[in-house]
Amino acid sequence: MAREECKALLDALNKATACYHHLVLTVGGSADSQSLREELQKTRQKAQELAVATRTQLTAALRDRGLGAEERAEFERLWVAFSGCLDLLEADMRRALALGTAFPLHAPRRPLVRTGVAGDSAGVAARALSVRSLRHEAEGNFDVDDLSQLEREILQVSEMIQEMEMKVNVPRWTVQARQTAGAELLSSASVRVSSVGAVSVQERTGPCDPNKALAATVFSAVLLAAVALAVCVAKLS
Amino acid sequence: MERVVLSMQDPDQGVRTRSQRLFITVIPHTAAGGDVVAWLIRKYGISDEEALHLGTLLVQHGYLYSLREPRSLLLRPDDTPYRFQTPYFWTSTVWPAAELDYAIYLTKKNIRKQGALVGHEKEHYDQLHRKISHTWDLVVMQAREQLRAAKQRRKGDRLVIACQEQTYWLVNRPPAAPLHPCIRVSPPHAGAAQPSVPTVPDPDTQRPCSAPGIMRPCLHPRFQVSANPHLLSPQPATTKSTEFYKQEMERCRKALTRARVKSSVCLEAYLKFSGQRGPHDPMMSGCLPSNPWVSDEDAYWTINAPSVAVPTKLRVERWAFSFQELLEDPVGRAHFMDFLGTEFSAENLSFWEACEELRHGGQAQVHATVDAIYQQFLAPGAARWVNIDSRTMERTLEGLRQPHRYVLDEAQLHIYMLMKKDSYPRFLKSAAYRDLLAEAVVPPEAKRRVFPFMRKPLHASPSPALLPASPSGEPVAATSGPECGDGGT
Repeated sequence: MAREECKALLDALNKATACYHHLVLTVGGSADSQSLREELQKTRQKAQELAVATRTQLTAALRDRGLGAEERAEFERLWVAFSGCLDLLEADMRRALALGTAFPLHAPRRPLVRTGVAGDSAGVAARALSVRSLRHEAEGNFDVDDLSQLEREILQVSEMIQEMEMKVNVPRWTVQARQTAGAELLSSASVRVSSVGAVSVQERTGPCDPNKALAATVFSAVLLAAVALAVCVAKLS
Repeated sequence: MERVVLSMQDPDQGVRTRSQRLFITVIPHTAAGGDVVAWLIRKYGISDEEALHLGTLLVQHGYLYSLREPRSLLLRPDDTPYRFQTPYFWTSTVWPAAELDYAIYLTKKNIRKQGALVGHEKEHYDQLHRKISHTWDLVVMQAREQLRAAKQRRKGDRLVIACQEQTYWLVNRPPAAPLHPCIRVSPPHAGAAQPSVPTVPDPDTQRPCSAPGIMRPCLHPRFQVSANPHLLSPQPATTKSTEFYKQEMERCRKALTRARVKSSVCLEAYLKFSGQRGPHDPMMSGCLPSNPWVSDEDAYWTINAPSVAVPTKLRVERWAFSFQELLEDPVGRAHFMDFLGTEFSAENLSFWEACEELRHGGQAQVHATVDAIYQQFLAPGAARWVNIDSRTMERTLEGLRQPHRYVLDEAQLHIYMLMKKDSYPRFLKSAAYRDLLAEAVVPPEAKRRVFPFMRKPLHASPSPALLPASPSGEPVAATSGPECGDGGT
């Protein structure tokens, strides 16, 4: 059904935007490299394809006059989410352009900011493109060429947004989102379990806390031993 | 600031970095606070305090963040580890911080902490939910996806990125009670969204302390390296209340005795004023001969110059509105002076003019002017003695012992009221005024040269109030224009 398709496309676009955001975060930092720029390009191209597809579907659906009120409301909701996503993507693309210009990888060589991020981001890009792994095949001055292409793509995306606004009139204030505040807490169990692990690690950003944990375990072990000894002594006597 | 940070990154000349050792992960690129300060001193040749201050500014604007106490935006000149913020979160790239982004961040935090948002973050979260509830679907979707995307990285990177984001939002959405009175973060003006390298004044050529030129100066630029800057100095609440309430009572008492005018009276007066002045307003009723801004002829200005031989009719009519109008217009004043001359009371107006000169003249001439006025107008048996009542005269003479600018105010006011009540009405009824009205010129409306094929002749001074929507209105406006000049009010 059209609605399911739209939803699936929107989810994919959402994933691509999130991954793109994640990748742009590291531009200019210590993890910046040729492969990162390449991943950025691939991710954003995928995101653009998805955006175009979603847009055609949604526009077709919304312009269809013979839609029921409920269906229309549903499509409007999807529309609002879609345009928000596209705005986020455009903003991230602009920032990527600014950062890419400010931190060219080749000449003139500027020192990258030592942010402490050192791993590679192939996994993120692979997730965005829904492939298993990513091959890097960029040549020398990839980033410079990429920047001009990025500019063009930014213009395309902003044009698309403009067109969207002109063609379909969805007043934002009438749309009622399905998720309420705190809806994210009702996420699937797997996400919760893995996020708990993340939580415990997040809390310990200082080197003293693990030591404290160690001390606590040692102390409790000693206490247990003492209790056991006391019991033994009591039994003996 | 960004250039400073970038020059810190230089592998040879920059700040020395070590690695941070957590439980099992090792994260590189940690700089100690002391190292940063030392580097600043070495690079720019500034004093200890300045370097510390500059370092603190860097931290407060989010270019560096502390690893041990992420919530404190201070630079400690010791071993405390700091790390640099990724350029994505610099103020030049992302300004202003968007509501949607903040909502996504808070949602992510909510997910991670299982709904245990506290304090100002909880408030912001609720607020945002109310404000942008229509895009809440997107917020939740993006938050979940961003968390899942982050999982694809190593743990160390994940930690660092989370810290970076946390610092960014700490700087851009600080908790309501500031940790330090100096935190007033505002964007550098140079940081408007431009796809070019951010232009920050080069600190190598200027002293770094001129950096406040690009940001709002802190309230306390010298921050004290105290032991516990987290604690707010407790406000003296007790003394505040008594003083405060005393002042409140005074203020209320004064407010009671204020003179109030009923709005009905005010509005009537306003309506009358507008009605009287309507035809005189060049915007509302068009101006003759033509609006100089439209037709590029300045005849209007030359005709209405301050001192012109023959005033326009409108101007002469304005003198009848109030005495103030008459006195303010130099031509009017001159004619009034002539009239008073015929009535042998010209010294009143001269005295008034002399007092005005005293009030608005230079401070050095006050003494001399007061003496001159006294000699000419107030001394018994003076050449042009003005008729002031005895009480005012006594008070004025008292004041003349210590002359200042406003010493003749009472006398001036008395004479002014005298002229207004007495001479002014007579002037308006006099033959002189009637002659002036008759002689006054009404400039003809300039014929605007238009294409001979236009059906509607364009108005020479289109007034927004007269421009009608229908063509029937146009001839009405055209006829009312010259009428306005002839018929008067």
